[in-house]
Amino acid sequence: MKVYVFKRLVIAGVTLLGMSILIFVLMRLAPGNITDIIFESAGYVDEADRRKLEAELGIDKPVAIQYTRWLGEFVRGDLGKSYRYDLPAWEVIKPRLPVSLELAFIALVFSIVLGVPAGVISAVSRGRPIDYVLRVLSLAGLSMPSFWLGMIVILLLVRALGWIPSMTYVSPFENLGANLFQFLLPGLAVGYRSSALIMRITRSTMLEVLREDYIRTAWAKGQRQTFVVWRHALKNASLPVITLIGIEFAFLIGGLIVTETVFNLPGVARYLVDAIQFRDYPIVQNLVMLIAVVVVFANLTVDLLYTWLDPRIKYGNA
Amino acid sequence: MTRPRSLRSLLPFAAALLLLPAAPGWAQTPKYGGVLVTHPLSAAPSLSPHEESTVAVAQQASPCFNNLVYYDPAKKQESVDTIIPELAERWSWQDSQRTLVFFLRHDVKWHDGKPFTSADVKYTFDAVRGAPDAKVKLKVNPRKLWYENIEGIEAPDPYTVVFRLKKPQPAILPMLASGYSPVYPAHVPLAEFKNKCIGTGPFKLKENKPGELVEYVKNPDYFVKGRPYLDGIKFVVIRDRSTQIAAVQSGQLDVAGTGWNRTNAEDAKKGLPKLVMVETDSNVNDNVLINFKKPPFNDRRIRQAINLALDRKAYLVGPRQGAATFGGALLPRPSGVWGLPPAEIAKLPGMGDPAKQKAEAKKLLAEAGYGPGNPLRLTVSTRALAIYVDTASWMVDQLSQVGIEATLEQIETGVWHPKMTRLEYSVALNLTGVGIDDPDAQLFENYRCGSQRNFSGYCSEEIDRLMLEQSQTTDPKKRLALVNEIDRRLQADGARPILGWGKQHWVMWPYVKGWAVHENSIYNVSRRQDVWLDK
Amino acid sequence: MAIRTLDVPLHDALPEAHGWGRALGLFIRKNPLGAAGALLAILLIVAAIFADVLATHNPIRTSSRVLVAPGSEFWLGTDNLGRDLWSRLVYGSRISLLVGIASTLLGAVAGGLVGLVSGYMGGKTDLVAQRLMDIMQALPILVLALVMAAALGPSLTNTIIAISVVIAPRAARVVRASVLAIREFVYVESARALGARHARIALRHVLPNTFGPFVVLVTAQLGGAILAEAALSFLGLGIPEPYPSWGRMLSIAAAEYARKAPWLVIYPGLAISFAVFGTNLLGDALRDTLDPRLRGN
Repeated sequence: MKVYVFKRLVIAGVTLLGMSILIFVLMRLAPGNITDIIFESAGYVDEADRRKLEAELGIDKPVAIQYTRWLGEFVRGDLGKSYRYDLPAWEVIKPRLPVSLELAFIALVFSIVLGVPAGVISAVSRGRPIDYVLRVLSLAGLSMPSFWLGMIVILLLVRALGWIPSMTYVSPFENLGANLFQFLLPGLAVGYRSSALIMRITRSTMLEVLREDYIRTAWAKGQRQTFVVWRHALKNASLPVITLIGIEFAFLIGGLIVTETVFNLPGVARYLVDAIQFRDYPIVQNLVMLIAVVVVFANLTVDLLYTWLDPRIKYGNA
Repeated sequence: MTRPRSLRSLLPFAAALLLLPAAPGWAQTPKYGGVLVTHPLSAAPSLSPHEESTVAVAQQASPCFNNLVYYDPAKKQESVDTIIPELAERWSWQDSQRTLVFFLRHDVKWHDGKPFTSADVKYTFDAVRGAPDAKVKLKVNPRKLWYENIEGIEAPDPYTVVFRLKKPQPAILPMLASGYSPVYPAHVPLAEFKNKCIGTGPFKLKENKPGELVEYVKNPDYFVKGRPYLDGIKFVVIRDRSTQIAAVQSGQLDVAGTGWNRTNAEDAKKGLPKLVMVETDSNVNDNVLINFKKPPFNDRRIRQAINLALDRKAYLVGPRQGAATFGGALLPRPSGVWGLPPAEIAKLPGMGDPAKQKAEAKKLLAEAGYGPGNPLRLTVSTRALAIYVDTASWMVDQLSQVGIEATLEQIETGVWHPKMTRLEYSVALNLTGVGIDDPDAQLFENYRCGSQRNFSGYCSEEIDRLMLEQSQTTDPKKRLALVNEIDRRLQADGARPILGWGKQHWVMWPYVKGWAVHENSIYNVSRRQDVWLDK
Repeated sequence: MAIRTLDVPLHDALPEAHGWGRALGLFIRKNPLGAAGALLAILLIVAAIFADVLATHNPIRTSSRVLVAPGSEFWLGTDNLGRDLWSRLVYGSRISLLVGIASTLLGAVAGGLVGLVSGYMGGKTDLVAQRLMDIMQALPILVLALVMAAALGPSLTNTIIAISVVIAPRAARVVRASVLAIREFVYVESARALGARHARIALRHVLPNTFGPFVVLVTAQLGGAILAEAALSFLGLGIPEPYPSWGRMLSIAAAEYARKAPWLVIYPGLAISFAVFGTNLLGDALRDTLDPRLRGN
């Protein structure tokens, strides 16, 4: 078990390292060098400023040194500077993190709360109308662009109820009610999509599990269907679902980008789009790396959780 | 009173009531208090007007600052005649209009308590004009050429500033009155203006969340006693148009509309008829940049063909939804002071019968060697913003109707100006807004040989000479004649074909009083010290 | 993992077909949803191919009939430049289909090749390739595409490349799993014993048997690719104006005019949803048919 954990940690580390190289290379694919780009978009004119910028960015050094320098800074928590706002990156990101995290969390909750029961019901009632209805609903969720769903929801609510998305972010510590109200719809918009995938996985895993012998045995023994289903089948179906949540996390972040835009939430994802638009490259590089770290960490957590829950792996029969 | 007076005796009273002005609220007694919430055009890249070129900064930084002189908010048409004192109590032209002496107020303090003196004025304008002995250097200086004509600035005593000009220039006062020309404190490092603001203005900066929110609170020590009326102003960045509309309708915003088109403004009002909608000119125009230096666009016939192909009336209906005015290089009358007469404008290319003009365009293209077998292919570049892209899409279609195969290239805001300055495009759709309705600003910035914002690469020595001449002409009538002549020639040369001058829209609640809107500029009216809420 | 692997060769997995007509009827009866999906997918393809015939107006021609509500003249109304929405939707199907198919195929083929080699060779090659795939898959597709677009500039080609980069790892994983399963079969071992070269074995024996899951993967990912293109266009990257792209139609015009002209928001979104819905249903049905473990219950 410990060996397994260690192995996965190493793999996570290697993945992150690889991603850092990928990101570093991608950012340098841009035509023209980074100094020029930042120089222009930040609005500088003076050549002396350009030289200062070059020194700051370390452009004059060989690429490998630049890479190690960046990586070293990142690991130490130095996320660089936003040239657009002329502030340390962390200062700009810090107030935006809670927003994105809360949105992601609420979306995750929605996706589980909607997806798992739907998958179970669909599996148990296979072939019957409710199964088809749920499958269509979940597939619709996967087929709709999440930003479109957000737009339609806003359109409907605005027209019907005169409701609008809140203009400024209200922290949950300030006013929990207002905060939840603000995050409910965007969370649903993102969560609905994830719930569809969870529903499908739950359904197919449940279908498999329901065929297993020990389930049939339980039935034969006379245990009530509902009890059997919810106790045995669900427990075993939970493992792939948990794995999926890990995979979904990356998916979720993409959903955050468009949803934060549509619902006017000042989160990290939307800031990434802004930074890209304004060519605030050092920020883009660090933000994307940050996202990568979060995703890998989420996957790792899920992997370990899976391991902890799955008795087969525990006892070394991977 | 035991019985009602006869109706006739009430008549004068009723007449007086009817004659009272209905809006804007200058005649009523203002109430103090309240925080006004509005949305800006976009997030401000910084709070330093001298270093920026977007109206978003003028909007969000003006409450914090003061200028030497300012345009009277109450007078709708800005001109040299509506300039009123602000930090300068009075001024005097001397030495045959070559020296301008300002006598400054004695009772002004910066927001941090330090006194305002002439040293601050010298500091600011030495920096802006790029004087060799300036105490500080601006990171970027978009309006440096506004102040080219200044020979030197002296501060003989703490409350007197002397501007010595090389030649007479009546436009210097309008330039100093612009929202882009406030006075900076000499004792605050320039770098701090990125995200903070220390000014002398009616409002002090309370909070700045870059990209999200700028909030001001009343300055209790403002030198204009009894102002401002408001307790504070809040600029909340809302990216989505529908949200902006819904926010003003639901009362979360008191004033909205900056950046709106007519459809949205009418729609907002239709949903809540009690809202007040204002539509005026804005001194921002849609124009076409054709790269004079890039073949085949250096061929005059091709430039003319492109100009003829763009039907201005269709532009009015489609991209502008009816909210624009046709004109030349200067804002047309009656909102503008310097525009060409309407009769002349009606004869400009693109204004005539579309079928004829398109046929003529095709002919010119054929002469230049392009036709159905050999179509002219080009890229229309534009900024990646809705108002640009819509008009550029329309342009692509118009060009296709004369056989030109065009595709659209969207360029992000961050790299737009540099690309244009370096002339890295063939044809572009551009919006130009100049801070003031004055020929010096408008012409020098956009049409002079070698100017940084002369994006089309147009260069004519004769025009340059005329520009200089009008700048030094102090007689307004003579100056107008010169300006119109320049305009005529610019249009004939196709230096920068103007599609039209767009309008600005505001939608606000009726309890908002004193919200000044000028009809020939959007940049110079955002001090907001006279705004009050009638609730 | 949503994609299952086969444990029998493909030709044993397909149901017997007594003539096409009966097979079709069987398909429809067993998979009503799948048939519906196939229908939608076919409609999409028809729209793309016959756009010139189906459209009522020129999709880029602007006019003075601005923001007209849906009616007899303009079936789905017009946008803020007076362009007919129905015609733009119809032509937009070409872009969506083109980008969707191109990026899916590119990603699936590239990834599939990697998976084939990786699974077959095993050992260190496999380990390295797997980590590489993990890395590529870990980044959210939108983030990756955003960065690429920022670096390389928004264009049709870059959009296709960006989306295919995300699909490749999934394809690699699927093909690799199949390869791993099949590699151990006796007939492969015997072929090797007889001296057949690796390449020949890979291509002749292993590859055909990965076909099933591969097809399922492609149809499954196609929907995702279409959605990715829509999201990229929505954010301002991807297909430039004035050519109609469903995602692009949603972003600019819709955001400005959503309240006045809701049809500009509703119909492009519906188009995307139905296209993706159809391909997803079809993919589901194909997977259900080709995966014996879920059949016959």
